[in-house]
Amino acid sequence: MAVLTTFSFSWTQKWAFAWLGLLVAVAAVAPALPLPYLPTVPDLAHVAQAPLGPGRHWLGTDVQGRDVLSLLVFGTRTAVLLTLPAALLAACIGALAGGAAGFWGNRRRVETAYWVLAAGGAWWVLRLPAPWLGPLVAALAGARLLMSKRNRPTPGPRLPLDALVMGAATALDSIPRLVLVVAMAASAGGVSATGLLVLLTLTAWPTPARLVRAQMLRVRALPFAEAARAAGVPEWRIWLRHAMPHAIKPLESNFPLSLVSLLSLESTLSFLGVGLPPEIASWGRLMASFRQEPSAWWLLAFPTIMLVISILSLNALARWRRI
Amino acid sequence: MARLLFWRLLRTALAVWALASGVFLLSRHDVNTALQLAQPEAADLRTGAGTPAARQAQEWATRRRLGLDVPLFYVGRHVPAHAVEGQWHWNGTNNQYHQWLRGVAHGQFGTSFRTGEAVTARLGRALLFTVPLTGSAALLAAVLALWLAQRLAARPAWLGPVRGALVGVHALPLFVIALVLLLLFANPAVLAWFPAYGLDQSTDADLDVGSQLADYLWHLALPVAALTLSALPGLTLQLEASLAHELGSGYATTARAKGLAGRAVIRHHALRNALLPSLAQLAELLPALVAGAVVVEVAFALPGMGRLLAEAAAARDYPVLMGGVLLTGAARLLSLLLTDMLYFWVDPRIRWQS
Repeated sequence: MAVLTTFSFSWTQKWAFAWLGLLVAVAAVAPALPLPYLPTVPDLAHVAQAPLGPGRHWLGTDVQGRDVLSLLVFGTRTAVLLTLPAALLAACIGALAGGAAGFWGNRRRVETAYWVLAAGGAWWVLRLPAPWLGPLVAALAGARLLMSKRNRPTPGPRLPLDALVMGAATALDSIPRLVLVVAMAASAGGVSATGLLVLLTLTAWPTPARLVRAQMLRVRALPFAEAARAAGVPEWRIWLRHAMPHAIKPLESNFPLSLVSLLSLESTLSFLGVGLPPEIASWGRLMASFRQEPSAWWLLAFPTIMLVISILSLNALARWRRI
Repeated sequence: MARLLFWRLLRTALAVWALASGVFLLSRHDVNTALQLAQPEAADLRTGAGTPAARQAQEWATRRRLGLDVPLFYVGRHVPAHAVEGQWHWNGTNNQYHQWLRGVAHGQFGTSFRTGEAVTARLGRALLFTVPLTGSAALLAAVLALWLAQRLAARPAWLGPVRGALVGVHALPLFVIALVLLLLFANPAVLAWFPAYGLDQSTDADLDVGSQLADYLWHLALPVAALTLSALPGLTLQLEASLAHELGSGYATTARAKGLAGRAVIRHHALRNALLPSLAQLAELLPALVAGAVVVEVAFALPGMGRLLAEAAAARDYPVLMGGVLLTGAARLLSLLLTDMLYFWVDPRIRWQS
């Protein structure tokens, strides 16, 4: 089905692909590019210089004498290395959580032995009094599980999976993402790149989770899922092999849009001076330096052009399914 | 209907509480930086004894003043001096979280770490500034979107360029819009029509009310324009698309067949039905504008709620930060309430069903 449809890209989408590919390539080889200046080294002889001025600063310098071209290149690297993994991780986590919540809902009964196993593990991880008790209980539960493989399992209490996932998503969505990230990033102390990545992922997963859950509610009622169940395929296998490939369809057009929101969130954070440490180059920080020198239009123009073309390209890609 | 609304609000309130608790507990991981930032200045320290014992006493006094001397949560890991592993320990109700929660329930958000002022006073002063800013931007965006979408739905000749411009502006992050406005209209090199900053400094006492108001509006023009521009394209494009959908349906054809003018069909027949999806966007608008205020107020150096939040975050001023988070959640609750009422007004069938 989906594999057999041929993609026909419009003219805009080919350009969009070319631009995004260029960005990723620049990000990958940024340290090896033959740039005349490094972004970290200020050239104090040429401060706030216009483009094409003396001293091989082709795109000018900022108020601290750093080369705008190399700041742009390394800012691209920061943007790509931050938003792409964050969007991928958020899509994976969202797909798994939303898919599971949609497939099993709140009605899934879990064997008592699994509950005991989880409780034992939690006991050990939290180091409650007498930590050896945890693994012991967990081992007993595991043995019970292995034995009960042959005879009928004993159903335990229901697991409110849907309520858990949707509750977490609602809680994360109850405050605008920017406010949440500013509050968390600043209060956790100057965040490193990894910390910011985790933070972006944490705030980005609810959207894909909602999409996949909605699609899963539709998919699990389709005849092929019922046929698989009738054929005796185990539940988790139906979920992973049969239902999930269809349930993640909405993510195809959502992924570029999620990249767009992450890209603008990242540059907004750098503009506010919240996220990354100041020595890491980024488009938002470059644009923010325009406020110190309002006559230096090149500080704003070049990163804005890069950002806008990237966002428009991603928006064009988000429509690729409909064409 | 009232019950449905009540449960919805209760669920959102619970979500806000859970999120605020999470932020509260996570933020206290960085207590040491907050302590350093809240310590008296280095000059004061020099007059006091520089011995480690004196410094420790000083730090303990600061901890006590900020209410950080008690444990964080009801349960915690205690690490005794001569033990490798900590033990779980029940702290009772004398902990930071309980005190904060009790204060919030009584309407007290604590005192700012930095200035020692009550958080409610600081937030109130900032809100006095931010509410007119975001409120007028929200109103302007909604009204403009209503007008523009109706005009666009009539398929005028200028449909293509305007829609292209809207899509283009929609792609821009808010801070880019703000900076471009600054570059174009508050720049001596291009057009210096509006001031770039300095609202709080220019209030001279000898000015009369009229010129003070004019000065205020003059300073507010660009921020409101930036916020409106960021909110307008999403609203307009959505409403225009759903108007186009409604105009293709049977009852619109009937209305046209009766000989009604295109304008009247749009306004009296299609608009109400097309508004439903836009109302969901309106629920997002108020919290989004609060977040937008963070960006705009930093970009234009305005003394509002958003800048207070950003500065509190940078200075680890937790009580102010938590107050801001709770206030944003309250804005969310308010907009939810507003939207649900609008739903009932727009589509009476919803009222009958529930």
